[in-house]
Amino acid sequence: MFDITPQLFALQLMTGIALGAVYALLAIGLSLIFGMLTVVNFAHGAFFMVGAFLGIYSIALTGSFWFSLLLVPLATGAIGLVCERFLVRPLYGRGLDYPLLLTFGLSYVMIDVMRFTFGIEGLPTSTPPDLRGAVFLGFGYFPLYRLFLIAATAVIVLGLWLFIEKTRYGLIIRAGSRDPEIVKVLGIDIARVWWLVFGIGTAIAGLSGLLAAPTRAVNPEMGIPILAESFVVTVVGGMGSLPGAVVAGLLVGVVFSMTSLLAPEYAELSIFVLMAVVLLIRPQGFFGKAGLMS
Amino acid sequence: MKNSIISLLLLARRHRVATVLLFLLVFPFLMPYDALSVNILIFGLYAVGFNLLFGYTGMLSFGHAAFLGVGGYLAGIAVVHGGWPWWAAIVTGVAASCLAGVVIGYLAIRTRGIYFSMVTLALAQIMYYVFYKAEDWTGGENGLRGVRVESIKLPGLSIDFINPLNKYYVILVFVALALWFVSRILNSPFGAVIEAIRENEKRAAACGYDVARAKLLVFVLSAGICGLAGALRALHLSIVPIDSLHYLQSGQAVMMCLLGGMGTFFGPFVGAAVFMYLEDVVTNLTRYWMGAVGMVFMVFVLFFPKGIWGTLVHQMERWLRRQGDRA
Amino acid sequence: MSATPILEVRSVSRNFGKFRALNNISVSFRAGELTAIIGPNGAGKSTFFNVISGGVPPSEGQVLFEGRDITGIAPHDFARIGIAKSFQITNVFKQLSAFENVRVALQMRVTRFQLLRPRQAYGELVQRADALLARVGLTASRDKLAGDLAHGQQRSLEVAMALACDPKLLLMDEPTAGMSPEETTVMMDLIRQLAAERTVILVEHKMKLVMGLCKRLIVLHHGELLVDGNPDEIRANAEVKRVYLGQS
Repeated sequence: MFDITPQLFALQLMTGIALGAVYALLAIGLSLIFGMLTVVNFAHGAFFMVGAFLGIYSIALTGSFWFSLLLVPLATGAIGLVCERFLVRPLYGRGLDYPLLLTFGLSYVMIDVMRFTFGIEGLPTSTPPDLRGAVFLGFGYFPLYRLFLIAATAVIVLGLWLFIEKTRYGLIIRAGSRDPEIVKVLGIDIARVWWLVFGIGTAIAGLSGLLAAPTRAVNPEMGIPILAESFVVTVVGGMGSLPGAVVAGLLVGVVFSMTSLLAPEYAELSIFVLMAVVLLIRPQGFFGKAGLMS
Repeated sequence: MKNSIISLLLLARRHRVATVLLFLLVFPFLMPYDALSVNILIFGLYAVGFNLLFGYTGMLSFGHAAFLGVGGYLAGIAVVHGGWPWWAAIVTGVAASCLAGVVIGYLAIRTRGIYFSMVTLALAQIMYYVFYKAEDWTGGENGLRGVRVESIKLPGLSIDFINPLNKYYVILVFVALALWFVSRILNSPFGAVIEAIRENEKRAAACGYDVARAKLLVFVLSAGICGLAGALRALHLSIVPIDSLHYLQSGQAVMMCLLGGMGTFFGPFVGAAVFMYLEDVVTNLTRYWMGAVGMVFMVFVLFFPKGIWGTLVHQMERWLRRQGDRA
Repeated sequence: MSATPILEVRSVSRNFGKFRALNNISVSFRAGELTAIIGPNGAGKSTFFNVISGGVPPSEGQVLFEGRDITGIAPHDFARIGIAKSFQITNVFKQLSAFENVRVALQMRVTRFQLLRPRQAYGELVQRADALLARVGLTASRDKLAGDLAHGQQRSLEVAMALACDPKLLLMDEPTAGMSPEETTVMMDLIRQLAAERTVILVEHKMKLVMGLCKRLIVLHHGELLVDGNPDEIRANAEVKRVYLGQS
């Protein structure tokens, strides 16, 4: 405990923010889908995992990490679009539990499809050549890739914010999440909007998988704990809230990271305890609306 | 002929506990090997406990593995670390899972609907990590080993607990008690309350029912039954695997219930039987059991949401009603 | 008649974000009265109803029942202290029979957490449920699923359920909404009978209906109390005319 220098502390904080960036992206995707469709995507961790696998495959195929950054979300988004259209949409009239249950079954299938395609061992990962090395941050050397992760997330979040707040389509999304009836009355095909939002959500999940791949082991089971962790982030931030997803994502990442440093035995536990505390004092999350689901 | 069938069906419906028990008495002779029957019996009980919450009260919990696991671990710890007799282990397991039910339930019931599903999953993962880390007590990653109960000692009688068929009938005694208890609950005034909550929560509150409290009670009851299943499983397997606590184990309860028929009395057993039998068969053919069960589950969610037994019961009820109208 | 009003609303306001749905409303109701809350669309009638029936708590102000402060109590406490409501959008247990709907509403007063005795052991609940069904004219539909009943019958079922907790104060949100003229007449007669035994507050937007029915009308407008008086006073009031008809 006494050999923890301020420099080490600061570096660990940065690591936490990098981890938090991935969590924030995951939570944004989940919240988008929940906010619009009132569906909890239990396959979200699986899409994250598929993104990681497709990312490695795409990098191997095209030789370019940057190109894969474009390709992978398009791919996982497309898979999401197909799934929504044929698997989730038939269930909308039936009650909120059914799409949830379906995505749970879907996650099982996705895991075994990846096992079948890429083997049960997983794939080796490496940092893209352009982003190797470390940067001196005043208090120590920090991996360039993780810095890139933070920056990339910031760009994506900004882009999403601009899309939702400033574009016409974003307006439709915002209106639809508040009152699908109004959107229908305005002559907009709400089913189409939901379809596209689901695709955007799964695209972001896949992208976060690609971005996270160089920092962790890539195997078909990697999405399983990720699902639970992204639920923690959404409970803390507030379901359906995008600012909540970002703030809570960063908070959870930092809590995990700092606990890993100060009390490593309790690292995984710490974020769930955080969630339990939030549930006690503010069940709707920091940015959530009371009474929505609590 | 038709009238005797109708009378038989009505009799079976009125005495559902007896009917199910009769079936369960002969069940091992329908299955290829006894250990499979024991598994189906135990997981059937697990599904029955879960069904009380999901099928009858309408609360989709994704954290019930916590109760299966806590029941199993505490029963196992009682035997391994405490040297306690088998019956004390079972009581400990059930008591511990009820306690876990109070804690998790109190936190989770602050949320509703699909949010509740998310929250229960995450809260149950706490149990997973706690038991994973507490290696000295639980064996950590390797699970708790050495839960050896070689014979069930009763006053004047000693039953060999190694023989799977004996295990089955000993466990059946507990399952019978649990089924009787569940049936009483469903028939009771409280059963009417949870039905009302499932149908329309706001309406139930407007009638004057404290919905949160009722939900907590049924949550704890459900946890206790799943804890019993966990304790029995520990005694059966002689080990408690760490995966008992993982949310995939919770998902299994959900799947079995839906496959069998949620909100029906016998459905969970049908679901458990189909699930375990299928697992046995499929894992011998391919390693992609997870994908296969995922696909089967999705098919049921899309096309047969009432489940196997639920659909059968639904059709039978309709037929009976038509006969009644004609008579 | 006791001096304490059965229901008192003191300086109640309710905000939804920036929108002030109710603004500083104060009004009292004496036991035994039959009052209607009326007003054009958007006047705040539904919000007012929700505040006095436990649907939402007020943002400011107090609600007192028989002199006791009940501001912000839990929704399930309303039925227990003697305030029952029927919803604007029919809110019955659709998959349960009409009989079971009423029986479970009655059961609340007798037992809630009994786990082991069968429901049938409570014979008096069965009798009382049948009696209530007869009162609202639903005996023939006793065993039908509530979701299968005609709209007017569902509204009657709602009333039966509201009566199940033997309320001193009965709140009804647009009780004749969506009903045919015949059904409406039946409901109005029922309301008249009920008003003779208990305090009834209605929210209605059908002016003609309430004019003949109630001795006291309260007109809301833009979340505020506009006029409070008997039908003649309301009819003659220029403000009311303006608000409803746009005349000056």
